[in-house]
Amino acid sequence: MSSELRRIVLETIIIFVLGAVLGLSFNYRMVMNAFTGKTVAPAVKVEVQEGDILFPLPVDLGEVQELLKQGAVIVDARSEELYAEAHIPKAVNLNMAYYEETLPAFLKSVSRDAVVITYCSGYGCDDSFEIGMRLIDEGYMNVHVFEGGLPQWRDAGLPVEGAGGQP
Amino acid sequence: MNRWIAIVYHLCRLGLGGLFVYAGLIKAEDTVGFARSVANYKILPYGWNYLVAASLPYVEFLAGLLLVLNRKVRPAVLVLGVLNLVFIMALVSVLVRGLDIDCGCFDTSGEGHTTAQWALFRDIGIMFLVVATYRLRSWLVSEKQG
Repeated sequence: MSSELRRIVLETIIIFVLGAVLGLSFNYRMVMNAFTGKTVAPAVKVEVQEGDILFPLPVDLGEVQELLKQGAVIVDARSEELYAEAHIPKAVNLNMAYYEETLPAFLKSVSRDAVVITYCSGYGCDDSFEIGMRLIDEGYMNVHVFEGGLPQWRDAGLPVEGAGGQP
Repeated sequence: MNRWIAIVYHLCRLGLGGLFVYAGLIKAEDTVGFARSVANYKILPYGWNYLVAASLPYVEFLAGLLLVLNRKVRPAVLVLGVLNLVFIMALVSVLVRGLDIDCGCFDTSGEGHTTAQWALFRDIGIMFLVVATYRLRSWLVSEKQG
């Protein structure tokens, strides 16, 4: 390699390293949270006031498991096909397409102060949030969103139910 | 002749540099949102999506800035070329897997594919700019020395 080319390659590497160091120092906490499994999205404070819009609270994998142990209801907001293929054990399917049809049964069987967790296909998928908002509209006061969704559950090696996964 | 080459060179480098300064800034502004986009490709493990989201925009911005300032042009262009190559491979991987990178829950089929395809064409175009800028720069530098 000619010395000029070597210099160019070296400077290329330096730019990469410099940029990465810059980015990581600005986002240090976020990256650390991600690697230690903490919730990365800013948690929305739920302060109940008249006329306030309430949001489902984002929770991470650890919190989801904890809540499930305490008997939380878990809702799969994805399509029926995806749900049938694989879902978090004990999850109930409540999606946008069949919302009107499936909601009544849900309202009957799940009390309004139950702890509810919604999930879908992970980050970039807003359906869990959508369904969460709708449940809040229906009067559910304890709604959470598991943003990592099925992908994070699966990646952690946790068991799934469904035709595609292990029963 | 040299004049024209210089003009084309400056246009290429300013276009490329400006594009990546802009791209870097936009992504740096919403790091978590960008992490979601990266996660959508389902290529990296959980934490690494955030690592990439944290560093990539700054690398883009830095390289783009160097191009705009006409400093360390070839290294900067190489950085963008490498990044672009990685993007292209990620897009090809998404298309090959038939992944609908826009959630896919209730999308009509084909939408996600179009997005990835368009991005692929765009990135191939960017690659041409990268190569052009690099070669024009090399040529101009050698002309000056010759």
